[in-house]
Amino acid sequence: MNSSAVSREPAFDQLDGDIELRDPAFGGGVRNADVVVIAVALAAASAAAAIVATGGVTSDPTTVATVLVANIATLAVGGLIWRRGRPASSFGNLLLAEGVLVFVSSLSGSANSGAHLIGMLGGWAAGLGATWLLLSFPGSRLGGLTWIVMGLAVATFLVGELPLMLLSPKVVGVSGIANCAGACPANAALVVDAPNAAAAFRHVEGVLQAAWGLSLLFYLSAAFAWASHARRRLLLPVFATSVPFVVAFAINAVAFDLIGAPPSSTARAIFAGARILFPLGFIAGLLFARAYAGEALAFMASKLVGRPSVATVEQLVRSVLDDPQARLVFWLPRSEQFVDRHGTPVALDPAYERRRWRAFGHGDVRVLAVVHDVVLGEDPELVTAVGAASLLALDNRRLEHDLLDSVDALRASQRRLVGAASAERRKIERDLHDGVQQKLVALRIRLELARDVAGESNGLADRLAELAADFDDALDELRAAAHGIYPPLLADEGLEAALREVVRRWHAPLDAELEDVGRLPEDRETAIYYCCLEALQNVAKHAGDDAVASLRLWRDPKAVRFSVVDNGVGFLPHPDGKGAGLTNMADRIGAVGGTLAVRSKPGEGTKILGRVTIEASDRAGDVVPV
Amino acid sequence: MSSPSELADRKGSKGAYRLVVAEDAYLVREGIRSALEREGEEVEVLEYCPDLGSLLRAVEAAPPDVVITDIRMPPTLTDEGIQAAATLREDHPEIGVVVISQYVSPHYALKLFEHGSAGRAYLLKEHIGHRIQLMEAIREVAAGGSVVDPKVVDVLVEARMRAKNSRLSRLSTREREVLAGVATGASNAAIADSLFLTKRAVEKNINSLFAKLDLTDDKTTSRRVRAALLFLADSDLGAGADL
Repeated sequence: MNSSAVSREPAFDQLDGDIELRDPAFGGGVRNADVVVIAVALAAASAAAAIVATGGVTSDPTTVATVLVANIATLAVGGLIWRRGRPASSFGNLLLAEGVLVFVSSLSGSANSGAHLIGMLGGWAAGLGATWLLLSFPGSRLGGLTWIVMGLAVATFLVGELPLMLLSPKVVGVSGIANCAGACPANAALVVDAPNAAAAFRHVEGVLQAAWGLSLLFYLSAAFAWASHARRRLLLPVFATSVPFVVAFAINAVAFDLIGAPPSSTARAIFAGARILFPLGFIAGLLFARAYAGEALAFMASKLVGRPSVATVEQLVRSVLDDPQARLVFWLPRSEQFVDRHGTPVALDPAYERRRWRAFGHGDVRVLAVVHDVVLGEDPELVTAVGAASLLALDNRRLEHDLLDSVDALRASQRRLVGAASAERRKIERDLHDGVQQKLVALRIRLELARDVAGESNGLADRLAELAADFDDALDELRAAAHGIYPPLLADEGLEAALREVVRRWHAPLDAELEDVGRLPEDRETAIYYCCLEALQNVAKHAGDDAVASLRLWRDPKAVRFSVVDNGVGFLPHPDGKGAGLTNMADRIGAVGGTLAVRSKPGEGTKILGRVTIEASDRAGDVVPV
Repeated sequence: MSSPSELADRKGSKGAYRLVVAEDAYLVREGIRSALEREGEEVEVLEYCPDLGSLLRAVEAAPPDVVITDIRMPPTLTDEGIQAAATLREDHPEIGVVVISQYVSPHYALKLFEHGSAGRAYLLKEHIGHRIQLMEAIREVAAGGSVVDPKVVDVLVEARMRAKNSRLSRLSTREREVLAGVATGASNAAIADSLFLTKRAVEKNINSLFAKLDLTDDKTTSRRVRAALLFLADSDLGAGADL
């Protein structure tokens, strides 16, 4: 496949990179690693259900098994979705790890005291993990105030649960649903059975756990309240599914640890439902974000169809990102810096005003960057969609600019070409006139003198007379050739005189109205002259025997104009352009920045109208030197 | 004004036409020199000049009867000969000017006549060697007459004849031949000679063709030349106008 790093313009019909029929970056396609994860998760879920069901320890094995299976499956699938949807984020891996901890917690359903203890510890770890997930979402790390919540969670275990494990024969799980029915296995971690101390620690644990739950609840509420619109889209599903769980968790702590009331079956059912629901929020959040990004892309695409200005694109970016300070900046490869749309350089360092930026381009070639609010970094799908749409829109504009540039360049080169050609023709005509024609003329004079000397009516005189006639023919031919190469009148006297001469010597009826338009730059005079000549020749060739042509040349304040109109047979102009002759004429006029209009209909003659703009610098007197 | 033929013998003080010749091309200049030397006593060349400036200085220094000048000379290599004719029309109206040129375009002949056709001739360089043409042009302009190289007239007549609906088509062949003769500046007698007609027949033809072309006949040949030439060059442009 043709995808060398250097070539940015691959052949039209070749693929520009590896796009598989089912691209894993888009939609379906199942990778082998995914299959392994799913298989392991299914096995783990089955094992967890089996342990709980057969252990005979759990008070409500059906509910507990259901929760475990649902949690393990949801976390595994969620982990995979996150890993695929946001490969740069390790949140997917956190979800998978949480799934492993949930599986370990299922060992608490085992009658074996060692396994039971490990399961209990796993349950605590899963609880701490769930807290971490909520605090770090949608990233994978904690920072600032979230450490307080996490600290409370860890303290609950270290200060409340761990001493309890060492001092009480009966270990209490964190989950609130996995408590043993009565026949609990012996506590393998028991050091000293101290009921009073244990009761005290149980209270400590209850207080801390309630604080943990409430602080988490407070954090989530605050985070949601302060979040931008974009972030709320991501947070809403997580918030909606985690709040019931956290509330249930806090109530459970107060009711069970502080008041000592075992949770009712209703409470346990609610708590179980909240736990099943809880990890689904992480999946929904990501799917919501992706759906919104898709919607944003479609919205932007629909707005970008009409060749919007750069300012419009930037405004769209702000609107879609819901970030009034969002900017588009553009990479200048030569000076290696970003500039804004006014061309002012923009310094983008990582700490850029609490903002982040993301560059977009083609392969390794940067084109632009979207500078956005730092929180939008947690919504990369949206930034990607917005950046890609902007890139497309600006690419279109750039293509259009390039096209215009190349049209300009083409015209300039055409102009140079036509100019060079006419200068060359003019030079050839001069060379002929002053060189060989002059010599022939001088020879012709001497030939005539020789005839005088030869006298009359003898063989020599006859031969010289023949020679003189041949000489005249040769001179005529040379003169005609030189005139055809470049009419000297055009160079010496300008358009009006040269065209008048054409009219004088025209071999067919010709109306003429020629205004003295003054002298113009040589390229313009040449273009108009040959264009008129060609149009007149077309009339003679194609308009029919009875056609009468009229030639007009005049000038208005801005342009020199000319027309060649005939009353001949006319023609049906070719839909996509003109005949070769008309194209030639249009090219000549186009090369000097003029325009040519051709109007014709069968039976109605033909009108050729030309207009060549005259710049202030083109006034008479500024004649381009030879 | 007297007819040119009557004045044809008016000459300079020594009985010869005194000339100043301006031509920048050496070969042509030498050709002119040989052609004039051939005429012996009849012409006297006061000076040969290579450009416009030296021509005008030579004329001021010693005014000749006739100036023979190249149309295109230094300094600008455009139409110095015509400029010289215009300048002399102001400063020395009595001096005749023969402009020699390689251009067949009637534009230049008409331009020469813009400041009046009297005493002006437009001759193609290749015809300088033709002693009759050259000397006739010198004599005519010296006498205030006008001459246009027949080849220039031919080009016009030919183009006009090819054009359909030309007013020239109203003329008989004979009349067209006479018109061409008139346009070159030939006198009625000269036209009569060249066409093997009587002078009377030429006059009849001239009257009839001038009437057909709505031209006012003018007994002064120099004005007649100009009218005929202008007609051939310009007045036939409106093809459908007077059918």
